[in-house]
Amino acid sequence: MGIAEKLASTQKQIAISEFFEKNKHFLGFDTDTRALITAVKEAVDNALDACEEARILPTIMIKISKHDIKRDIIMLKVRDNGPGIPMKALENVFGKLLYGSRFHVIRQSRGQQGIGITGVVMYGQLTTGKPSRVISKIATEETAVQVDIGIDTQKNKALKTKQERITWCDDAGELIEHGVQVVTKMKAKYQRGKQSVYQYLRMTSIVNPHAEIFFTDPDGESIHFPRVTEKLPRVVDAIKPHPSGIHLGQLQRMLKSSDERKLTSFLRHNFSGVSQRAAKELIAAAELEESNKPKLIKPDDAQALLESMNGKRNGTRGKPVKLLPPPTNCLSPIEEMLIKKGLSKTIDSRFIATLTRPPVVSQGNPYQVEVGLIFGGGMPADKPVEILRFANRVPLMYQQGGCLLTKAIESVDWRQYGLEQAGGKGVPKGPAAILIHLASTYVQFTSEAKEALADNEEVFGEVRKAALEMGRGLRRHLEKRKKMAKTKEKFELINDILPAIAEKSASLLGKPVPSLGGAITKIMNAVICQETTQWNKETKHTDVSILLYNYTARPRSYTILVSWPESLAEMVANERGGRKEASGLWAWKLETLEPGGRAEVTYSLAGLDKGDWIETEVFYRGAGDVIGASVLDEKILADIRLQEDGGGENSEVDADDESIGKNENPIEVISESNSPSVSQSNDSVSAESVPAPSENPNSPDSPTLTSDADDISQAVMNKTTDLFKQQKLFDGGGA
Amino acid sequence: MARTHTPEETKAAMHGVVEEMYDRMMKGDAPTMTLPVRTKKNIGFDSKLGVYKYGKKQSIRDAKSLGSAKQLLRALHVIEFIEEMIDAGKSSTLREMYYISEGWGYGHFSSQNESNNLAEDLEIVTKCLREDFKLRPEEDGSRMIGDITVNERNRRGEWMRINARDDVGDSGYGVPYNVEAEKIQLLEHDVDFIMAIETGGMFDRLVENGFDENHRCALLHLKGQPARSTRRILKRMNEEWNIPVVVFLDGDPWSFRIYASIAYGAIKTAHISEYLATPSAEYLGITADDIVSYDLPSDDLSSKDVEALKAELTDPRFNDGWWQDQINMMLDLGQKAEQQSLAKYGLDFVTDTYLPEKLAEMGH
Repeated sequence: MGIAEKLASTQKQIAISEFFEKNKHFLGFDTDTRALITAVKEAVDNALDACEEARILPTIMIKISKHDIKRDIIMLKVRDNGPGIPMKALENVFGKLLYGSRFHVIRQSRGQQGIGITGVVMYGQLTTGKPSRVISKIATEETAVQVDIGIDTQKNKALKTKQERITWCDDAGELIEHGVQVVTKMKAKYQRGKQSVYQYLRMTSIVNPHAEIFFTDPDGESIHFPRVTEKLPRVVDAIKPHPSGIHLGQLQRMLKSSDERKLTSFLRHNFSGVSQRAAKELIAAAELEESNKPKLIKPDDAQALLESMNGKRNGTRGKPVKLLPPPTNCLSPIEEMLIKKGLSKTIDSRFIATLTRPPVVSQGNPYQVEVGLIFGGGMPADKPVEILRFANRVPLMYQQGGCLLTKAIESVDWRQYGLEQAGGKGVPKGPAAILIHLASTYVQFTSEAKEALADNEEVFGEVRKAALEMGRGLRRHLEKRKKMAKTKEKFELINDILPAIAEKSASLLGKPVPSLGGAITKIMNAVICQETTQWNKETKHTDVSILLYNYTARPRSYTILVSWPESLAEMVANERGGRKEASGLWAWKLETLEPGGRAEVTYSLAGLDKGDWIETEVFYRGAGDVIGASVLDEKILADIRLQEDGGGENSEVDADDESIGKNENPIEVISESNSPSVSQSNDSVSAESVPAPSENPNSPDSPTLTSDADDISQAVMNKTTDLFKQQKLFDGGGA
Repeated sequence: MARTHTPEETKAAMHGVVEEMYDRMMKGDAPTMTLPVRTKKNIGFDSKLGVYKYGKKQSIRDAKSLGSAKQLLRALHVIEFIEEMIDAGKSSTLREMYYISEGWGYGHFSSQNESNNLAEDLEIVTKCLREDFKLRPEEDGSRMIGDITVNERNRRGEWMRINARDDVGDSGYGVPYNVEAEKIQLLEHDVDFIMAIETGGMFDRLVENGFDENHRCALLHLKGQPARSTRRILKRMNEEWNIPVVVFLDGDPWSFRIYASIAYGAIKTAHISEYLATPSAEYLGITADDIVSYDLPSDDLSSKDVEALKAELTDPRFNDGWWQDQINMMLDLGQKAEQQSLAKYGLDFVTDTYLPEKLAEMGH
């Protein structure tokens, strides 16, 4: 036998499971502490995904206990209330690697590779020699299945033992309708602090506000993360791949397995963003015929087709073929309101701003960036800001420094927004936390460990833009507080000290008490805006009132604008009318305010829950400073308007496309009807990308702004107005 | 020239302050109080009076901020309080006034300093004296020994004749807080000059050695930075009896300032300098010269000392050739010395050798 044959004969196929056994670090089991977190992560991810698909509000219980202290063996028990797994599928879910329904489907999902829970079973087996015990109950069956599952690593198959049917009850003795429980013993270490199971679960509950999590640690301490909304995340639809991101192997597979008779229909039916015109152009650019049968396409031709799809070949117009962007209904962002609720339930703060950017496309994959900034309250001012990173609603806990999301945050100069930051680069310091969530059909990580996002210029840009927006909101909030504090002093001056000076000087001289109107305007010399946003128990509306007081010596006229959640609520009881200025921004032109005069704008918001909307940001247009409101930045307003119109590239109006709707099979409607404008395809998003992220100085259940000690109460304002009114104003005084 | 005022004059002057505030409010403006700037930058030498006074720079206190508005209100309360005292024939210490202010509502003082400063502000604006306001300080006056006879009016209103050598013990005659004519009359004396001394130790040394008898002088213990009453009595004795005054202090920048406040007026009381300063007072020692020629035990100048000396170079009160030389000499030397360091040569050195030599140099 020759050398080549000899060598060839010694080679045999390695079982995939055996390969992974030798490379545990790929799966996240490289250290004892990491192993535990990975195990929890896989189980929790599965539970969340399953519940969402079955439209069940997830309740997950995690219990970690010490099994064998000497050998560091820990017992991990995870139970969920998901739909359950049918008996026949158990061995594949828990015992077979690379099994799952998600591989051929492009949509946002937590476990992109689905190696997940099997890895946990395998790790448990490797370190303790014991199988994992699984219980699963589906609603249509009377009893639950209980089975011990191990893995035959040579054959990549499950080893089932002790399978039996049981009546499954919870601790209170109640029958469990549906759900899954896994108990695994494994060598692991439970750690507290930054990179711990507790932190992981805390972060998970922030970005899954609909989930309820119970956690019991090895010391027996129980923590409950309640849900803050009953709304499940949107149903995400699968989408077809987009030509710009397709690879050769994929394309060839698709061609080979296609039954289509024409290349044009193959392209239009199997990809998103390809119209009739585009299909023709792509084929022409590849120098092929429309009537070619996909199955018979030769490798070289497939390559040519790929090049034109990837934009590397020019079409008839001398430029790469223009395609529609992929639809973005495959994404499920968390949404601003829920991020706020999620953050405020775990972090005590004075100010929260959140922003969900409209979905965009990078290399054929839709993605969406969401950012939250939470400031003040109990967070320490001299420590680095906590950065909470998430990809597809899964917390990223390691490799913070090497992650794209962190880098984008670090690239902002936070010093101009009220945080400390040495040299204007790096992680800022201050009593704040920043949350970044990237939702995408295809998240690129720096390594198999899936802990940090790989560099991507477009995503970097999006995160940075969102962060700048947050920063501006924070700066406005801090400036407003500063101005209010100064103003509060002035009110004290005018209400208390000034009258005392007037009275005493008059009594010492034996003369009449002078009137104070002129002095008040000279000292105050400001227009004050007082905003109140309050939940109305009877009407179940959120009532908003904006009061404007003119404490200057001249008449003033202003246009008042407010931020409001246009996409989620309806504005009612708006007697003044006003007009829509931009998405989520409403305006009223006020009548002229005489010196000492006041004006009020009131309206209510219907369709919200208590605690959803707590503070209204007020802007103004007009001459002279208004304390308690921010001047409207016209440039930013113009940007918003531009974005609302759908942006330049995305709205393709092409005569040929008229034919799309007519020739389709009903199936095709899914991808085409959403193409006209990216920003409108995901309704809950566009309205919130408004310049004014709303603020939440208090936690959802606490009273409104007026009860805050730093602020000027209605009573004080009224007293000053009365004082003002009682005085005779001096006509000749200048402002 | 500053002097005491009658109750009517005092009240009228205070009303001037009230009127400024009142008139402005009547005009529809925020109330204000206008007073001279009280820093080194606004001190000028008045050659007629031979002392330093405040210049023309004014500062206006208005009601635009909470803090300054409260000061205006306090001023009104203090004025009212003083009027009450004048009418009732009573007086009060600054400390007492601070406590009384607790009952003034928004106009109360938040610290003793605030109350002291306001009293000074009023003195300056009204050109009245603290004595006119019936306000007394906490500080004591100093002690005096020598053949000087005064008439002091005691608390029962009776005049007591006191000689500061025969009628007192070894700690001398205590100068009261008020040394105006209504309280102290200068009757007669038999001394050739008055020596003002900085430290108690040196004062006692000179008393023990009988220096006042041997050299026909009166000894006055300044107690460090002298109280107004101390400076005032020095000035009265110098003026009414025409007796020269020499000043014997430690040799350091702070003592130089003590001399300046005696001779030229203190920056803080520049409004009444001519009232408290003794322009003809001479500086005897310890000088930088002395440290060298008598080889006195000395200490290094601290950084604060150096800063103070440098500030003095630009202080208008030290703007003559002799002082500039002395200050520069001390800076070059880098040393300071206490007056009691003369004891290096024995307890009697100061009275037997140093002082006679220095006085002879000065022509006494």
